[in-house]
Amino acid sequence: MKKLLLVLTIVFCSLAVVSANGTTEESAVAAAADDRIEITFWHALGDAARSGWIQDRVDEFNASQDTYVVTQEAKGSYRDTLQAAILADKQGNPPSLVHVFEVGSQLAYDSGIFMPIGDIGNFDTDDYIAPVLNYYTIDGKVNSIPFNSSSPVLYINTDKLVEAGFPADYVPDTFDDMIGAIETARERNVEGANISFALHAWYFEQWMAEQGAMLVNNDNGREARATEVNLTSDAAVKIGNFMKELGEKDIYSYTGRFEDWDGSDAIFKGGQSMFHITSTADLGNIAKAVEGSFTMGVGKLPIPAGEMRNGTVIGGGSIWVTKNQSEAQLEGARDFALFLTNTDNMISWHKLTGYYPVRNSSVDKLREEGWFTGDAKQLVAFNQLLTTISNSATAGALGGTLLDNRTIIEQAMQKILQGGDVMSALQEAKDIADAKLAEYNANF
Amino acid sequence: MKDDHGVFRSRFTVWLYLSPTILILAVFIFYPAWKSIILGFYRSNLFLGTRTFIGLENFRNLFTGILSPGFIQVMVQTVLFSTLVVLFGLSFSLFLAVQANKNVKGAKVYRMLLIWPFALSPAIAATIYLFMFNPEVGIVNTVFDALFGMRPRWLDSPVLAFFLVVAASVWKNIGYNIVFYLASLQSIPKTPLEAASIDGASRFQSFKMVMFPLLSPTTFFLLFTNLTFSFFDSFAIIDVLTKGGPIGPAPFFDNEGITTTLMYKVYLDGFGGSSNMGFAASEALVMMSIVAIFTFLQFRFLAKRVHYEG
Repeated sequence: MKKLLLVLTIVFCSLAVVSANGTTEESAVAAAADDRIEITFWHALGDAARSGWIQDRVDEFNASQDTYVVTQEAKGSYRDTLQAAILADKQGNPPSLVHVFEVGSQLAYDSGIFMPIGDIGNFDTDDYIAPVLNYYTIDGKVNSIPFNSSSPVLYINTDKLVEAGFPADYVPDTFDDMIGAIETARERNVEGANISFALHAWYFEQWMAEQGAMLVNNDNGREARATEVNLTSDAAVKIGNFMKELGEKDIYSYTGRFEDWDGSDAIFKGGQSMFHITSTADLGNIAKAVEGSFTMGVGKLPIPAGEMRNGTVIGGGSIWVTKNQSEAQLEGARDFALFLTNTDNMISWHKLTGYYPVRNSSVDKLREEGWFTGDAKQLVAFNQLLTTISNSATAGALGGTLLDNRTIIEQAMQKILQGGDVMSALQEAKDIADAKLAEYNANF
Repeated sequence: MKDDHGVFRSRFTVWLYLSPTILILAVFIFYPAWKSIILGFYRSNLFLGTRTFIGLENFRNLFTGILSPGFIQVMVQTVLFSTLVVLFGLSFSLFLAVQANKNVKGAKVYRMLLIWPFALSPAIAATIYLFMFNPEVGIVNTVFDALFGMRPRWLDSPVLAFFLVVAASVWKNIGYNIVFYLASLQSIPKTPLEAASIDGASRFQSFKMVMFPLLSPTTFFLLFTNLTFSFFDSFAIIDVLTKGGPIGPAPFFDNEGITTTLMYKVYLDGFGGSSNMGFAASEALVMMSIVAIFTFLQFRFLAKRVHYEG
């Protein structure tokens, strides 16, 4: 019995050795036959429509040249993708390109596994729309290539608006206008005269930018590492007062859950609100959903009264290049990132998803095609983007704890909605946000 | 004392048979637990890969300073949450099991239906609740509106949200408890119950004096598993249903979401936001201590009162 066991063991071991040899030889052969340089792209868009679009572009790129072979993989959420990339880098096998969300920019930058894409050879970035590229320019260098960008706009239930006695093309410009219109509608017993938007700190960030105010100090974290979150500034208090008024007048409708995009969209789609705020990326979806039930209008994001409109911050994601790879891989990675965001690809990306095409040439071409005359709703979104003033406020904040800030801000907003004092809620939020930022900064 | 290790001839055999379990525990429980205890004394960020020894600073931040009110609130509501989940979970399931154990027509079908929720994963159970209790379009509020003309805010009014999460957790776990209670109810010998009824005990008396003591080993076991469930496995329910929110009433419960338990806070601090792993590890350590204290108390004070037959 023992002998048999011994024999079996030897047989298995030798088999294992042989097969291992076999595979190494095989892969060596494969490499010789196809010595194209491998480029991997990890992203956070796992749904069939968007990952399918990416796969199509990958196939086109691979067919268009024979130096590189690109593969793409969805890695879960934005957080998962970034964490996976950092882990893979530690294990010595990082992906070439990683898709990072805007609030994760500082985390990605600090992780030290990436390099500015602007450092890889010479290429022209003038065609990218300035306010978009602005967000992804750190220390004067183009750090990453914008890919999926969006910003919030006002969605209007025009039927309710008309019922309330307003002209169909009326768009409230300020918070006060919006609240006034709701009050008028309520006086006239218009059903579902509410304002709905997800309780999400993204809007708070946008309203800060619109007022030209910095969310964090040190020029929004772009001059030096941010050390303070400006949650008690005049601009922040104005937003707090707006939430307070919404709560007191009971005209704000949401599901009660933080960051519940779908839930708040459902309120608008179900005819339970007159004004709704959400991303331009949902224009297509929502327009389709409400077709037949009511007429929908779109307008610029309302802002506090008496403020100059600075424009919105570009939310979404960009593509980063990891630094621990060969020169040839770096160039291939850059070429693919540029291919993915070229004029025509950005047009089809925009038509598929509603994300902004991030190139001026794409916008021009769409205009020639008559895309905007067919659906004027898209034009509102574009004007909001194209009239955005490029400054540190609209470039968006950089900071290691922007994600924590979102939760902290949402909690403060909920406190205010429930009747809490604006100043004390914001002061408390600021203290916690500053403490977390100090804790993060202590890592350096 | 000649027979210390029962049927086994040598100590070696005992350890040999235990070794697979010990190996698995060591790899998946002891080693990670040890690692996270150590991590609690470091400043460590998941994204940055940093690691600096800072002694007790994480623990100091838990109990003093700006972040402590939130942590203390979460500790209190975790204990409250666990107590309610265990209390309601056990009493409902015992009640239902006793009913399902009766000789009624179709008892088997009832039993099967009662076990049903256990077959769902917590995330699915929570999603079902989320649909039902959506304040604007959910079925519950449609019914409430039709019957009473009101639409309770299930997900953002603090008390309702808290009890909704408790209810979902109890419901999710009730099938598990019923299985065990039913099994032990079926194995209770008829004789003591008959004796009790001959002695003139009412139905409640015979339940209280005879049946309940005979079920005590099961109750003791379930107390333990339910406690663990409420501490650790309620995560998915909270994540899907409320994401830890909403903010509770001032002055004490307004620092964190009212449905944030320790487990959920560990997740939020360690894997949400800027991923402060050291801080999260120190919180996990405090949570581990609380569970250890609960367990110790159980064995110290309750184990004596458990009646094992034979």
